[in-house]
Amino acid sequence: MNRGAGPSAGESVAVRYTRVISVVVVLIVAVWHFGYDSLILVRGWSRYEPAWAALASWLVLSAVQLVGSVLLLRGALRGPPAPLLTCVALLAGVVAVAAYPRGGAISDLSWAANTVGWFGVLLLAQRPMRELVALLACTVALTTVALGAHGELGTGEAWARLIAQSYTTAGIQLAFVLLSRELHHAARLTADAARAQADRMARRAAGEALHAERRRRYRYLRDRIAPLLHELAEGRAHPGDEGVRRASAIEAARLRRLFAETEDADHPLLHELRACADVAERRDVDVTFVCYGELPDLPVAVRRRLTDGPILALASARNTARVTVVVTAGEVTVGVVADASAGAVPRAVRSAGTSVLFDEKENLLWLESRWRLPVPRSTSASSTTTRW
Amino acid sequence: MAPTGTALDVGIVDDHPVVIDGVRAWLAEEPGIRVGHTGETTADLRAGTVDVLIADLSLDGRLVLSDIAELAAEGRRLVVFSQFTDESLVLDVLNTGVNGFVTKNEGQAHLLHAVRAAAADRPYVPPTTAGVLVSDRSPVAPRLSQQERTSLLWWFQSMSKASVARRMGVSVHTVDMYIKRARVKYAQVGRPAPTKSDMLARAIEDGLVTPAELAGSAQWRPPAP
Repeated sequence: MNRGAGPSAGESVAVRYTRVISVVVVLIVAVWHFGYDSLILVRGWSRYEPAWAALASWLVLSAVQLVGSVLLLRGALRGPPAPLLTCVALLAGVVAVAAYPRGGAISDLSWAANTVGWFGVLLLAQRPMRELVALLACTVALTTVALGAHGELGTGEAWARLIAQSYTTAGIQLAFVLLSRELHHAARLTADAARAQADRMARRAAGEALHAERRRRYRYLRDRIAPLLHELAEGRAHPGDEGVRRASAIEAARLRRLFAETEDADHPLLHELRACADVAERRDVDVTFVCYGELPDLPVAVRRRLTDGPILALASARNTARVTVVVTAGEVTVGVVADASAGAVPRAVRSAGTSVLFDEKENLLWLESRWRLPVPRSTSASSTTTRW
Repeated sequence: MAPTGTALDVGIVDDHPVVIDGVRAWLAEEPGIRVGHTGETTADLRAGTVDVLIADLSLDGRLVLSDIAELAAEGRRLVVFSQFTDESLVLDVLNTGVNGFVTKNEGQAHLLHAVRAAAADRPYVPPTTAGVLVSDRSPVAPRLSQQERTSLLWWFQSMSKASVARRMGVSVHTVDMYIKRARVKYAQVGRPAPTKSDMLARAIEDGLVTPAELAGSAQWRPPAP
């Protein structure tokens, strides 16, 4: 049973989901930094103290952003580079905030704290949650310290602005990350559930097949073997009777075929025929078994049609039997030649596909079962013969 | 062509002395056959000149297919007598140009038929070879007629040409002809060998095939006028 498709499908859902989230984060950060930050920087260029510090900070953050994006899309941000790049981004942020003029900590000149927060979302996406929380706390602290350093924390209005600012920057970033992680988790759960469901269905199908197979074998035993055993037990049939011995030999061979049918063999037809031959050999019949040609896969019903006659011939053989299997381009032919009596194979078995000949001159029963392959196979496709 | 009137010289090369002794005993019962050479190694394949050489396929602990092919290419008449029954091996051996392949479990009668046929450049197909030929589905396999296929298949199944004849409703001679024709068709394909040409020439003499039927054969060169 192939259950390999389940895990790989679930895995690929999770992988694709992670990739989409990564691309979204990369786009948000790129638009934010190269769009919004650049605009703010250009507009307030003359007011930063000094302007080159703001520019240097912007450049460093640009570099970190490019490296971080590439690493994230390659799934390489699980290790130490992530916190390292985050620290660089945070330091650049500190420099940028330090270059704000008085009264600029929360104004149309401030950009760095929010940007560093988004950098955290990008760089720490595949790291433990606490690292991101710590970084966001640092960005809030950065703005708070900047306000304090400029002596602007004296009023309630300043605190209200700080809270509102933090809520719309660090708060949104935190919410974004929590939401994406939750969705990721849900996707994984869904994939797992689908896989478990497929497993259950496969197990149920296997169970049903097993049950049906058991019922089939039970029906067979009930209909064919039980009456014979009953008659023997009740003394109505005598083991010394040639007919009873023959019937027993036939049922023994059929039982072996029944068991052989459910065994896993390279060539089930040969396996089943060998099982029948084996029963005959136990009666000291000298059985020759030869097979030529490459056997195709045959369904159980076809194998039964091909073995029904041979079972009877083998079970009736007195001393010798020759079993041959020949596969040609269009047909599978099973032949049995045995020193059995003419009546060994009843007329009912002589169906289409099985022909029986009793050669009186040589006193041999010669049975042949044929199965025409439904689709003519190409003559070259299955050839294993190497010739000059 | 084998000498007529004088005894047929047969060689036996097999790595088991018991097989040599056994085959020698079988041949001793046959009038007009004497064993002129025996040996157990690859070198013994080339030593001695006999009319027909009965050779085992495994000598000196290896498969001697290439040595067999060389001997056939030199025009030596060979009957391979082997315990191997693998179909691709049987086909490969026949393709080298040997006159016949008899498996060791086929026994005395088939080996004797094969030796006599080889001496006369005539085909002989024991049941195992028949099974191999009828199940051959390689692209280079010659096209066999329905009667030829049926004869090969039933000969393989029953090992009795009389039974096959009764089942087909024809004479034993006709069954034998179908089987020989199938073998002759195999002599027309694959690697050229003098033994194959000899067999084809004899098949025409015997009326088994006509020169026209051999026109496309790689083995057959019509004699110069």
